[in-house]
Amino acid sequence: MSVATLLFILVRLSASPAALLAGAGASHAEVRSAHVAYGLDGPILQQYVTFVTRALRLDFGQSPAHQAAALEVVRLRLPATLMLTAAALAATALVGVSLGVWLGLRADRPEHGWAFRLLLTGQSLPALIVGLVLVQVVGLTSAMGASAPLSFTLSALTLTWWLTPRAARLTAAPVAGAVRQTWVLTAKAMGATSRDVLWGHVLPNSLLAALALVGVQVAFLLSAAVVVEWLFGWPGVGNLLAVSMQARDFPVVEAAIFAIAFLVFATYAMVDLVLAAVDPRLRRRATPP
Amino acid sequence: MSTAVAEVLRLQELRVQFPDASGRSVVALDGISLAVERGEAVGIVGEPGSGKTLVALSVLGMVPPPGQVSGSIRLLGHELVGMVEPEWWRVRGRDVAMVFPDARRSLNPIRTVGSQIAEAVDRHYEGYPYAMTRRWVRERTLEALAWAGVSRPRQRFGHYPHQLTGDLRQRVMLALAGANRPPLFIADEPTVGISDPVQAQVMLHLLRRVLGAAALILTTRDPGVAAAVCQRVIVIHAGRIVETGPTDRVMTSPRHPYTAELLELTPRTGATDVGRARPGCAFASRCPNAMEQCRRLRPPLELLEDRPVACWNPWGS
Amino acid sequence: MTGPVLAHEMGLSRRLLPAPAIPRPGLLVGGMVGLMAVAVLGLVGAGIVQEHAAPAQRLLAPGTIGHPLGTDQLGRDVLARTLAGFRWSLAVVLPATLIAGLAGTGIGLAAAASLGWTRVILERATETAAGFPFLVLAAPVIAIVGRGYWPLLIVLAILASAPFALAVFDATWGGRGRMPVFQALYAVPAALPVVGAFIVADLVVTEACLSFLGVGAPEVAPSWGNMLADARQNVTTAPWILYAPAAALVLTVLSANWFGEGLGQLWRVKAR
Repeated sequence: MSVATLLFILVRLSASPAALLAGAGASHAEVRSAHVAYGLDGPILQQYVTFVTRALRLDFGQSPAHQAAALEVVRLRLPATLMLTAAALAATALVGVSLGVWLGLRADRPEHGWAFRLLLTGQSLPALIVGLVLVQVVGLTSAMGASAPLSFTLSALTLTWWLTPRAARLTAAPVAGAVRQTWVLTAKAMGATSRDVLWGHVLPNSLLAALALVGVQVAFLLSAAVVVEWLFGWPGVGNLLAVSMQARDFPVVEAAIFAIAFLVFATYAMVDLVLAAVDPRLRRRATPP
Repeated sequence: MSTAVAEVLRLQELRVQFPDASGRSVVALDGISLAVERGEAVGIVGEPGSGKTLVALSVLGMVPPPGQVSGSIRLLGHELVGMVEPEWWRVRGRDVAMVFPDARRSLNPIRTVGSQIAEAVDRHYEGYPYAMTRRWVRERTLEALAWAGVSRPRQRFGHYPHQLTGDLRQRVMLALAGANRPPLFIADEPTVGISDPVQAQVMLHLLRRVLGAAALILTTRDPGVAAAVCQRVIVIHAGRIVETGPTDRVMTSPRHPYTAELLELTPRTGATDVGRARPGCAFASRCPNAMEQCRRLRPPLELLEDRPVACWNPWGS
Repeated sequence: MTGPVLAHEMGLSRRLLPAPAIPRPGLLVGGMVGLMAVAVLGLVGAGIVQEHAAPAQRLLAPGTIGHPLGTDQLGRDVLARTLAGFRWSLAVVLPATLIAGLAGTGIGLAAAASLGWTRVILERATETAAGFPFLVLAAPVIAIVGRGYWPLLIVLAILASAPFALAVFDATWGGRGRMPVFQALYAVPAALPVVGAFIVADLVVTEACLSFLGVGAPEVAPSWGNMLADARQNVTTAPWILYAPAAALVLTVLSANWFGEGLGQLWRVKAR
């Protein structure tokens, strides 16, 4: 809801000078159609009310390009994006989280310093660049020319490469913190082996926090997915958004943004739920004796 | 000889030093020798920084790096100095156990109390592999809880630390330490961190319960705590033993000026800098009885009347 | 595994512990060097662009005399365009960051100064806004409004206000209540350059992505995003078009991130 409002405000702010700026690239007809599509030709309050009511009914209008309801078009593309995101998250969990744990356990040692810098460097490589390098390496001639498995693999690879340094850094901090806890001392004093400590006390306590932190990254993952999907021709919501923007298909643009925002908030909500379910301190408190 | 069987721990010239960045060493423990027998409660008394905690850590093999341990620590006849970490895993919790005071953070908050005790039982199981069932581990855990005086152990087993009152948590910590019936318990500063004097009493009471066939080493800065639990007391200062003997006699008639200061019979005049290695007695700068000789020559720990004292000019002479 | 902390827990005299590690300035220094390189290249770029204004032959491979990095599909010198890209991107990103910084500081302070529920709502809103990726929100707006320098600048400035606002809020509100004025007076100016560095990195990438997708810089502008789009189109015929802008982009982002991280560690500022 807040995103819809934010989007509206942004659009509204730019709509008035839109005619002036339209000279930059869009033709007069296109700007006009945008105004109509968004109902921008009425008094502002009415526009907002219309927009909100339509959004609440999930009515984003008809897509001129696809000759179908905008939301429907988006909905059909959703599974593709979900699949890609899930794959990237799984791969990152395997590689990135393990790396983060390894790093967190060595927080006091010299290796930590340069590993940290390496990760920061890796994080600075935009998904766009990584994707383009892959395109060159593989020799992809046209976006649509790639076969589905290749497109999927390359997209997932790029996203994983992009997410892993972040995930590693975000995991390392909670792990390093967990290792320092007093209960680790207690366990150690009772004869716990390093493995006992790791699997029994460090990981359970830190992975929760790591999960929460990585969950926040999902928003940025989806954003990167827009570029990556378009680059490799993977038919997901991101790709749809990019194409629709270029084609000035505004209903679909609106619907796609909404879908992405929805995914982001759904992720946050899920993370909160999981945290509450797993941490006994957050559960309903049992009556003290 | 019966002493070989009755003796649980023997420290011989235990030294712990920390090399600093420039290569020199700070000697934190300077030749500690003591012995503890079964059923004995020995108190190590000294001010913060005197090294008493290091004694406890040495016996557990948890001296922080870059500390170097030398000398001899014999636990049930086995030499502990020189062991590597994996060898320590079998000793800690089985032959010697630390009793942690009730700090809220001493127990993992996202695991049940029972599972944490069970972890210790599980780790030190020595028997036919297939006989260690979950039920067996659970039974031992419940036993430990009952032994520590935890009411309704079956229910408590599944509770989380935050669900227990402070008193119960102390008992759980004791149950944890005693889960494998170690012959030696170590309680390091058990009443520090317990602000409620009633709870402190409970803690001391629990420690007395520990004894039976087991031995107890208790380190503290408060002679009163030692008096409440221990039969024998060792006074330590700047890494050296200055006086030792039966608790009641040391308390009523101390021989070393430092002991007198601890008992608040003389006012405190500052702290001792452990870092600098000095000839002579480490207490000399604060000692009301200090003589010229004390600053030059280190007094050996020798029998003075009925007990060992390390002083050229003892208290009350 | 738990060395120094163990001793602390056990109450050992601090003098027995190893001395704390000297903070390593590597990140900060590296970042500053990189940023200086970026600034120099940006300034030098202006000069070179003038020299090679005349269009040359199309699709020349790198190594040709006069065009060390080759030319693109319209005959523009790659090196010249890349250097011009420094100026273009920074001309968008730096002002946007400054505006966002000012606006964000204002919003953050206002939020921290407000009372009760208003503050809670504002904090939540700022949190949400700051957590949203710029690309997804910026792209459609520019798609409607049209490509160009000003739309880009304004939209990015607005979007980037949120992280600034959140950082300023955190600096004055310290998690548990309003901090004393003198503490806030130190915390806010400390937080701004650190957050600013990360924002710059973020915006540079966002601008490149937007331009790449065709909803950012105008077609003729020497934005790296445009060059990357050209590279994409000519991946088989002229693979060299990718290298220079990609390297320039990475250099800039890397420097900004290193600088921000280094400064943040030095001043102990944490980004949420």
